[in-house]
Amino acid sequence: MHSTGLNTNQIMRQVTYALILGVSASYVFFGWGVVIQILLGAISAIVFESAFVALRGRKVIDSISDGSAVLTGILLAISIPAIAPWWMVVVGVAFAIIFGKQLYGGLGNNPFNPAMLGYAFLLISYPLQMTTWPIDFLSFNQAIEVIFQLLHFDGLSGATRLDDVKTSLSLGRELTTLQIHSSVQAWINAGFLIGGIYLLARKIISWHIPVAFLSGILIMAMLISVFDPQQHLPIQNHLMLGGTMLAAFFIATDPISASTTPKGRLIYGFLIGILVVIIRSFGGYPDGIAFAVLLLNMTVPLIDYYTQPKAFGKS
Amino acid sequence: MGSHTFKGGVHIPNPYPVEKPEIKQVPPPEQVVLLLQQRVGGEAKPCVELGDRVLTGQVIAQTAGQFPINVHASISGIISAIEKRPIPHPSEIDAMCIVIDSDGKDEWIEIEKCDKDFLNCSAEKVIQRIREAGIVGMGGAGFPTHAKITNAQGAHTLIINATECEPGIMCDDSLMQEYPREIIRGIEVLMHACGAKKVIVSIEDDKQEALNSLLMYSFNDRISIEKIPTKYTSGAEKLLIRALLNLEIPSGEHASDHGILCQNVGTVKAIYDAVIDNKPLISRIVTVTGSAVKHPQNYEARLGTSFAQVVECSEPNNQEHDIRMGGMMMGVDIPSAQYSICKITNCIFVNNKEPDRVVKECIRCSSCASVCPANLLPQQLYWHAKSENIEKALEYNLMDCIECGCCNYVCPSNIPLAEYFSFAKALDRKLKREEIRIDRSRDRFEFREFRLERNKKERAEMMSVKKIALKEKMAKDKEKGQVQKDKITQAMARIKKTKEDNA
Repeated sequence: MHSTGLNTNQIMRQVTYALILGVSASYVFFGWGVVIQILLGAISAIVFESAFVALRGRKVIDSISDGSAVLTGILLAISIPAIAPWWMVVVGVAFAIIFGKQLYGGLGNNPFNPAMLGYAFLLISYPLQMTTWPIDFLSFNQAIEVIFQLLHFDGLSGATRLDDVKTSLSLGRELTTLQIHSSVQAWINAGFLIGGIYLLARKIISWHIPVAFLSGILIMAMLISVFDPQQHLPIQNHLMLGGTMLAAFFIATDPISASTTPKGRLIYGFLIGILVVIIRSFGGYPDGIAFAVLLLNMTVPLIDYYTQPKAFGKS
Repeated sequence: MGSHTFKGGVHIPNPYPVEKPEIKQVPPPEQVVLLLQQRVGGEAKPCVELGDRVLTGQVIAQTAGQFPINVHASISGIISAIEKRPIPHPSEIDAMCIVIDSDGKDEWIEIEKCDKDFLNCSAEKVIQRIREAGIVGMGGAGFPTHAKITNAQGAHTLIINATECEPGIMCDDSLMQEYPREIIRGIEVLMHACGAKKVIVSIEDDKQEALNSLLMYSFNDRISIEKIPTKYTSGAEKLLIRALLNLEIPSGEHASDHGILCQNVGTVKAIYDAVIDNKPLISRIVTVTGSAVKHPQNYEARLGTSFAQVVECSEPNNQEHDIRMGGMMMGVDIPSAQYSICKITNCIFVNNKEPDRVVKECIRCSSCASVCPANLLPQQLYWHAKSENIEKALEYNLMDCIECGCCNYVCPSNIPLAEYFSFAKALDRKLKREEIRIDRSRDRFEFREFRLERNKKERAEMMSVKKIALKEKMAKDKEKGQVQKDKITQAMARIKKTKEDNA
């Protein structure tokens, strides 16, 4: 039985709570920027959702109270760098809510994952800002100054972990700095992993997508490393770097834009995993999760249609 | 035996449990309103007139057609009205009813005995007896029992459905505890009538008392009593067969096609009454339960007794109520208690009025799919049913939905999914009818065209035949004319010659 006993609003809230551990780990390493981004994301999500729901002539309170807009805002805020300028998360959330959700008819009707749509939009439009992460813990004041662009901290930022690793690997650099970075990423990923296990235990998500997604990553990473171990990331790094765990339990499992049949969910998760590794290894962007998820979102109607379970009494 | 379960379904505890379900007798009412509309076979035709005095058990109406069903007077008294009254149906329509005012005597009509031992009667005679007693499926379906038995002649297995899986209903449970002997005898009558060699009585494992009572009276080694896990929808015929015999009846086929006859335990008791006690179906057991009654209880009430009178026995509170006929899951909401008990009224829910639950959008969480006993994808079906895309909904096996409401129960967004599917099915029926109508008129039109064309051709043929005949005739006439002319000229020539000769 797969019944949570929760209503839709409670489900959205539970998912938000499950993010706390991963966000805390992120805070420990990157500082106050993480918190400020999340606040910005959540607030702008509420503002844009309210405005658009009001424009569509629906009841604003019903829409805000389901918590889905806030969740979208937070997921996007978590995905973008902690020192990104304030207007980026606002623009990203606006795109996610308006073009990713409300224009399709609001909650439940969006074919794409709104947070990932917002992320992809930002990544294409502002590639530099989207790949610059802080190297050290930022205090509250520092974070405010950077995010609201009161000062420019060049020394505080560096390239995205994955990007960094790629560059250092191709340059044949020592792995010591990489290992520090990896451990930071691994802690954050572990936080999201535990949050994800909580969601599984509460039966808020089913095991199909996370398991298939992680196996997709593992299998593709193994294949690639067999053919060309020098040029690419080690297998374990694929699992614990970038947004892997966040994607496995919080992004790919978004029920609205994911496949809805048990078999379909396995296919869906597995293919996202494979695409993520392909984009990471051969693509121009440091992490491929957003594009992989969006591409598979497009195939969902097809997957669902061909993976219908056999109805009772049908041969 | 089988796996004793099936995929899907939900476990829902009885929301208003009682210590021991008993049956309380409701005294014969002052007035009964007996419904003439039947689930199968249309409306029964009255065979009594206004002002007639009738006795308890007397036949007062009968349906025509393949499966005639009798309607009996449930009290003795005077027929005071034969008119349209509101009936307990979601559509809130009126239907023909016979109203009897009691004379307070409850005087029974003399009914001819079947035989001392039913085994001396042929199966046909027993079935006829069941038909005459007006017995229909007492579980809620209301299909004529005699027709079901006739269809399943030569069945190898008889399944007695005593699962009573809808949470809240307790009438079968109490029936088994109070009338175990009658039920076992009734089963033997049914075995004789359908010829089954094996009987399985299936009871959910939360009804241990009922199971014990039946075991005390079951000495027939062809009757086995089996426990199945308490799970909602295990009472659905095909799912029950799947659980007991590990047999999946294909979509579109019936249990009888596979040599299986299913009967509800309440029906079995009615058969006992009809064949052994010589009593037609004039009363039934009704559970009254819900948040607004003080004592949830089972009552044996005469058919036609008003809901209000039965509900009164359970001491409802004085607030506004939501009334529901049937179970918590598949019952129908009805506007008031001013209806009367009919053959399929197994339960009356009296709940305190609650604010409507807020319905949210579907988030495709697929909780519904994981509990669907028909293994459908309600979340996909919902999408198509809502947009009235019936063709697509049919591709997602709309017709295999049993409308059990498990999906409604688990939906985090409170979407009334089963109602959407019921609506989509109705829409499909309407479209099919429309299609048939259009096909028929097109056929008619095409035939008319064909007929006109054919007439034209026939006429043309006829005309041409006539023309040829006319031409031939004309030619003949012409020839004749020539001969005549020749004759005339000859005659003229002759005259001329005689004249010349004379001159």
